[in-house]
Amino acid sequence: MVRVEHGLVVVVAEPETPAALPPVLLVHGFGSSVKLTWEQTGWFTALLSAGRRVIAVDLPGHGRSPAPEDVAAYAPSRIRSALLRIATDAGARPIANGDPVSGLDVVGYSLGSRLAWELGSAHPETVRRIVLGGPSHDDPLAQLDLAAAQRFLADGTPVEDASTAALVTMMQTSPGSPAQTLLHLVAAVKQEPYDAATAVPSQPVLLVSGEKDDLVDSLPLLEKLVPTVEVLTLPGRTHVNAVSARAFKQAAVEFLARD
Amino acid sequence: MAELSFPLPDLGEGLIEATILDWLVAEGDQVERNQPMVEVETTKSTLELPSPQAGVVKKTYGAPGEVIKVGDPLVVFEVADDTAGIVGTVPAEGAPKRRVRLSANLDDD
Repeated sequence: MVRVEHGLVVVVAEPETPAALPPVLLVHGFGSSVKLTWEQTGWFTALLSAGRRVIAVDLPGHGRSPAPEDVAAYAPSRIRSALLRIATDAGARPIANGDPVSGLDVVGYSLGSRLAWELGSAHPETVRRIVLGGPSHDDPLAQLDLAAAQRFLADGTPVEDASTAALVTMMQTSPGSPAQTLLHLVAAVKQEPYDAATAVPSQPVLLVSGEKDDLVDSLPLLEKLVPTVEVLTLPGRTHVNAVSARAFKQAAVEFLARD
Repeated sequence: MAELSFPLPDLGEGLIEATILDWLVAEGDQVERNQPMVEVETTKSTLELPSPQAGVVKKTYGAPGEVIKVGDPLVVFEVADDTAGIVGTVPAEGAPKRRVRLSANLDDD
């Protein structure tokens, strides 16, 4: 069913044959949505077939979630606390010894991996296992030249900084959200930039990236930080098309089925 | 036995073609309706398309990396004669056997 909670659109899907495992929270990336990242790519099907209860959330200004004008609504810290409350409302409970359905598994992609990383680090009492797809070691969004991006969107003034220009082009073609809304998220991220080393999750982590993902060099850097970690690289895949790879879904389903 | 051909369906958003990323079934496989069949990439995103038909996969069109236009042949199934109906028509909807169900309707936007 689809509902709006804490200002975000939440999709909860139940398996026909539930496994004795915790629910799985899915967190999509910048400029995407539940539908684009998880539904049409076969993630719901793969997780439900494995007996997993699925909780997926459209981030603020993404998919069908409202797009507030207030930049504070896009703060990563606020999104993380909303995600945890949404998962709790949907039945996720703190990890309890001897209760195999307690806890919460989290799968993130791209910016969603940043949120999953920090969520796991902040909530070891609830988050059990973490899968990070297309993760970044640093923060490409925080480095964006916001003023230049705003000028470009307002009157077409060319953007000098190459990575800002690339991100603005990506925002303009984003099927998930309007570019102006994405800039609210960028502004909020700049106030709370990602620093992987200061919030390392203690849970088992699976790192997955396309071999041709521009961020693939982040994998060994993240790998060094996490105590319990596995790494999967997908041959021939990019940041855009790694998410639907069968090998990714199979590895995640297997990783999240372990004790 | 009869053959049923299915084209690459309309993917919405004015998309006219898709690149094959990976076939999840092979020629000769017996597949269920709605079983994940092929992974494709468009200029917007990637999608996993379910099988539109139960039967034996007779032929698949497009190796990974190749482009298929919407409406061009994607897959041919071999099915029992009485399932096929008149060649070129869409077979009647049977009761599909589904292992999972989505409680959400994600297609309504």
